[in-house]
Amino acid sequence: MKYKEIVSQATAEWTEMTSGKVPLIRIGTAMCGHAAGAFRVIKALQEYLDSTELEVNIQEVGCLGLCYAEPLLDIKKPGKSRLFFNNVTPEEIEYIVDEYLINEGYPKEKVFGYIGEEGPVNGEDSLESIPGLKLQNRIALRNAGHISPHDINQYIANGGYAGLYKALTDLSPSEVIDEVKNSGLRGRGGAAFPTGVKWSFLVGSPGPTKYILCNCEEGDPGAYNDKGILESDPHTLLEGLAIAGYATGASNGIVFIRHGHDGPIERTEKAIEQAYALGLIGNNILGTDFNFDIEVALTGESYVAGEETALMEAVEGKRAMPRFRPPFPAAFGVWGKPSNINNVKSLSYAPEIISKGADWFSSIGVNKSTGTAIVCLSGDVNRPGLYEVPMGMSLGEVVDDLGGGVTDNGQLKLLQTGGPLGGVLGPDSKDIHIDFDEMRSAGAIFGSGGIIVGSDKVCAVDLTRVLVAFCQFESCGKCFPCRLGMEHLLEIVERISDCASKPGDMDLMKSIGGTMEAGSLCGHGQLGFGPIRSAITHFEEDFRLHIEENRCPTGSCDRPKIVPKNTRPYATDHIAGE
Amino acid sequence: MSDKVNLTIDGVEIQAEPGSMIIQAAMDNEMYIPYLCYYPGMKPYGACRMCVVKAESPTPDGSYRALPGSPASCTTPISEGMRVETNTGDLVDLRKGIMELLISEHPHGCLNCHRIELCGPTDVCLRHVSVNDRCVTCPKNERCELKDTVRYMEMELTTPLTYNNRHLPLEVKDPYWDMDMNLCIVCSRCVRACDEVRGDQAITLKDRSGRSIIGTAAGTSLLESGCEFCGACIDVCPTGAIVERDYKWDKAVQKVATTCPHCPVGCQLDLDVNKRNKVVRSIPNRQAEANMGMACFKGKFGLDFVNNKNKLKKPMVRKNSELEEVTWPEALDFVASKLANHKNGDYALIASARGTNEDNFAAQKFARRVMKSNNVNVSSNSRPKLVDSLQDLIGDDCASNKIWELLDSQVILLVSANITEEQNVASVPIKQAVAKGAKLIVIDQRETELTRYATKWIRPLINSEPILIGGILRSIVDQSLEDHDFATEKCKGYDEFRNSLWDFDLVKVSERTGISQEEIREMAQIFANTEASSILYGLETISDTHIDDTVKSLVNLSLITGNLGKNSGGIYPLFSGANQQGSRDVGCVPNLLPGHRPTASPGIDLTEISEACSSGAIKALHLIGDELFHNTANRSEFLDKIKATNLLIVHESFASDVTDIADVVLPSALFTEKTGTYTNMEGRIHRLRPALGPVGDEDEDWRILSQIAARLGSEDLPYSSSNDVLIEITNEVETYKTLEADSLDSQGHIRKPILNSSYVFSPIEFTQREELLVDDQYPMVFAPGRVLFDADRDAGIVTENDLNTITRREIIEMNEEDANKAGISEGDVIKILGEKFELTGNAHLNGLHSGMVATTTLFGTLIESLNNSTEPDPMAKIEGLRLCKVRVEKG
Repeated sequence: MKYKEIVSQATAEWTEMTSGKVPLIRIGTAMCGHAAGAFRVIKALQEYLDSTELEVNIQEVGCLGLCYAEPLLDIKKPGKSRLFFNNVTPEEIEYIVDEYLINEGYPKEKVFGYIGEEGPVNGEDSLESIPGLKLQNRIALRNAGHISPHDINQYIANGGYAGLYKALTDLSPSEVIDEVKNSGLRGRGGAAFPTGVKWSFLVGSPGPTKYILCNCEEGDPGAYNDKGILESDPHTLLEGLAIAGYATGASNGIVFIRHGHDGPIERTEKAIEQAYALGLIGNNILGTDFNFDIEVALTGESYVAGEETALMEAVEGKRAMPRFRPPFPAAFGVWGKPSNINNVKSLSYAPEIISKGADWFSSIGVNKSTGTAIVCLSGDVNRPGLYEVPMGMSLGEVVDDLGGGVTDNGQLKLLQTGGPLGGVLGPDSKDIHIDFDEMRSAGAIFGSGGIIVGSDKVCAVDLTRVLVAFCQFESCGKCFPCRLGMEHLLEIVERISDCASKPGDMDLMKSIGGTMEAGSLCGHGQLGFGPIRSAITHFEEDFRLHIEENRCPTGSCDRPKIVPKNTRPYATDHIAGE
Repeated sequence: MSDKVNLTIDGVEIQAEPGSMIIQAAMDNEMYIPYLCYYPGMKPYGACRMCVVKAESPTPDGSYRALPGSPASCTTPISEGMRVETNTGDLVDLRKGIMELLISEHPHGCLNCHRIELCGPTDVCLRHVSVNDRCVTCPKNERCELKDTVRYMEMELTTPLTYNNRHLPLEVKDPYWDMDMNLCIVCSRCVRACDEVRGDQAITLKDRSGRSIIGTAAGTSLLESGCEFCGACIDVCPTGAIVERDYKWDKAVQKVATTCPHCPVGCQLDLDVNKRNKVVRSIPNRQAEANMGMACFKGKFGLDFVNNKNKLKKPMVRKNSELEEVTWPEALDFVASKLANHKNGDYALIASARGTNEDNFAAQKFARRVMKSNNVNVSSNSRPKLVDSLQDLIGDDCASNKIWELLDSQVILLVSANITEEQNVASVPIKQAVAKGAKLIVIDQRETELTRYATKWIRPLINSEPILIGGILRSIVDQSLEDHDFATEKCKGYDEFRNSLWDFDLVKVSERTGISQEEIREMAQIFANTEASSILYGLETISDTHIDDTVKSLVNLSLITGNLGKNSGGIYPLFSGANQQGSRDVGCVPNLLPGHRPTASPGIDLTEISEACSSGAIKALHLIGDELFHNTANRSEFLDKIKATNLLIVHESFASDVTDIADVVLPSALFTEKTGTYTNMEGRIHRLRPALGPVGDEDEDWRILSQIAARLGSEDLPYSSSNDVLIEITNEVETYKTLEADSLDSQGHIRKPILNSSYVFSPIEFTQREELLVDDQYPMVFAPGRVLFDADRDAGIVTENDLNTITRREIIEMNEEDANKAGISEGDVIKILGEKFELTGNAHLNGLHSGMVATTTLFGTLIESLNNSTEPDPMAKIEGLRLCKVRVEKG
């Protein structure tokens, strides 16, 4: 089938479905929806509808970004805008359906807002006017919350695979790379390396077998944007992957997903199947002589597997431990073949960059950070969510405008950004902008996009202990400085947190940290001291109180601690706590 | 060879091999950078971070660009003009920082003690350091790389870090090795040696972060984890975490480089000798070209026989049917007086498979010149046909290529050889080649370790191998895969040979061998379509009458594909006996004089000698070593037959069933007490050096023979040292002429090959001749297999008397029709009854040829029995995997 035929068929289906002739109920079932009980709501909805004669089309969709409002459900009726209901419980289903679909009334109690050209249904506000949506500029997440991740046609009807089609028919591989280079897109995995430049490394490597790997290990606590994309709109990644494959001359794409990310795994695998069925991946894609295969690879639960060389080991079925470099992946990657590893977000921008052009993309954002930032906002904040905002937004805007301020009218004490290795920022960080370089110079990284907000109820020592415990737990155990250094750092932080520090502990931590930083094999160990260093920089007072006055300023260190035991040294078996 | 790379390390300009890592370049130039996880010869790993350096490389504009951070020198390749600093203050601090972390979980009570040099293992410790935390109680004390590194770094070692001894129980229930994971520094050298070098993956890195530790994947015994007990992990361990159990704490006062007496690979071993004159450890030599630092279970753990207390110390003569100890002169006079009556051809001499070139040269000369008998042989020469035709057709009778050339072979054909047990180290390059992508074809009825590595494992009908190879040859010609230029220009007799192939119709071949035509064609393609293919053959499952045909076919196969005289190609005969090759070279075989000169009147072979003993044609038998027929069912028959002789002279080191019937027993020196040379399967001449002083009056065999000769009035053996014998050998044996005895080191010396002006094809014949192994009482052939690890079949481990033991129910493979006839169905408990054994298992009907049954046991079971054996030298007497006749009964 030609691409245009595929599009017209998909568009016809989409128009029919979204006309609302059969009332269309969309419900967010990404991780946030799932956690909030979306599937229970769906079950209740189906059960109730079965008891009525109503014919209704229920579609699972992804995340609109307003995670705090999940389960978020909307109903589209003919000639009416989509009417949204927030924090829906199974018990409220009957009321909503009765009021809006059976009685043709207006379930005023639960209405959250509307989205649609048809205007308000009954005077409610536009959802797009609330800051959580107004401030967003959704590119990678453009379809999230609007289309079903289970149906490739909905993606195609919304411009899906147009970027790939354009690349294959209008552009040469080098033009695609130039386009990506010109867009200024930088890798969203943490290192912020220019994506186009990275792709060009693979171009010169000898084929025929070359791999493009997509990294969805996403093990950072407080990061869920990769999972969010795969759960809301997996095809945008597949399209980006195929574009990258075309640009670099790669033969295979592997989407690497951590075990246990069930939603993303299931949806990505299904999407791959559908894309194969339509000839959008596989051999002779869209009638051209471009062949590209995509598969999903899973590994055990290991944070370090997100490190690119460890990821390659894991894909090969080995223990996920980093390799040394050189040789670099572009020369010697998976199975010894040239490989290129990109983050889910980086690849998911590619379709729109190709469709709309490099200039459009680079016009968004600031300085050398173009495009959008996908922020996973969580912690002590009123409106946690998954927000895609233009680069350059200040952290103050993120916390106050997007997030609606700190919970319980508390004061902002700290921001933990870029995953556990990224470090923390102090209360004076509101003026820092989301800009790779600006954040780095402030001693933090934007990294994977997680921003965890801490109010003044959080003890910096306690938080540090949790972060260090995470880093220790996730050390792979290969290189000596990280394996042993993390162990001792955790022990010392625990001591301080228990108000039982020994003299010289602060200096000891710094010296261990120095050894790890200079000596470790991969980023995990090199950055492993980061959380402690930034905590000491910003919250020396918290540490001083624990050490000198033997007290925790917030009391959070006094609560029972959860200590992961199965990576602690054997010797601690008899002393480790819960 | 490309040019060397110039670089500077700490201001010293050095040259190194291109592509090497900085640390190796430094080592090659005798400079030291501290390291713990790196190991020369294995791939870099980059875990310990001790070998960090500062490095900068020149840029085109003449300035230098520093490599980021402090790269590990084990993972950073050198480049032209590179400048490396290894000892800046930062680097030293960093190393000390890492070492402090490391020491925090390694027992180190003695490392920071000023008394360490004075302190003995049993001294009362004044510092109250617990026993487990002391170096002096560690088996590796003073052999510990960690301690050496700490000393080199001159560290204070007063660290505020908490000391975390792991308090893990010792693992001491498996044979031969002990594991104390409290001493492990998790450098993974052992895991890498096991996986990367040996291809076994018996041990692995378990758990993560602070609990990363070495162990078997399932946490159980090595017996079922796929361990081949080669000891490679022990040899690379930098600490005392993995050690040999025997003499674990013994210190070496002397190290002696010598040659392993167990098989024809001739591994170069460094023996540790303690102050009580015992060999306490054997460590394979890393520089030796024959074994490249490898050993096997025999060379690593099978040398303890040299320490056996029951060694024979005095000559003994049978008087009034009892052996009585006598002095050497008495014994020699007695022997000489008796032998004087046997110079009329009724004398035979069988030399030892462990005899040196010197011993065996003296032996053949003694028999031929002094005793005027051509009946001289060596006990390892039980199947001379293995190489007779090889010599006729290609000129030489040993492996045409070196063992480690196999690494780069693209196809390896292994015919009926249990190489991982019989010539273990030669299997290491094969496994590595397979890991690199080489194809391995195994033709064998038995399942052996290498069948698991095989691209193709072919199990032809018994004794159909020559026909099968003939079929492959025919298929090569049919598919025009032959190397025509090589076959016609470098070889003789191609046309005649080619014509002989027309008999080998693939339909007939397939019928006769039980192997489908497609398989035969495919093997032909695999073998012929490469740059370099090698053939190794042991022909252990093939009856004597078929060996010659098989060898001829294999030579033809190598010639028709142009694989002789080529790197990583060639043909390797796999015989047994540490010095079979040398014995042949020095003429200690009935049909050849020294230097492969044919004799006009050849003597009789080993079986014929025993027949002649019983028939009375041979009245005096001189037996050196007792290994004859040890691994066959013929042993007791042989003993019965030689009892009939009037005079049985035995040179032996231990009392045995042979000394029981001997008239004279002369105590013979062990390999550790000898000076001499062995020649390995590649024709490489190695040295034996005495490691132990004599414990009694035992003597070297060449000297014993020379003394008897003198008493018999002969001046043919006028030797006063083994070197005298060697000098005579180099004069008489053409291929040894280039040997300079004084300069023989662990590299050995490859003897000069015998070269024919051209290779010769041998026409082959499609014979219907078939030797039956079976009879009415035992109508089936049993093919016993043995592998390291068997994922398909359950093995349980039970611990008895603190030793792990394998328990498992064997699975007996059988043909469906045979089973139907016997009323056996899948899974039934059945019994195999042989002449001397019985085995119970579950029937598995899997399409094996009719008339055959097969089973595969675990190597761990063999190791268990060796470990429990009370024999003085059990490793030398392992029962091979021989085909035998059996009957099957329902259990």
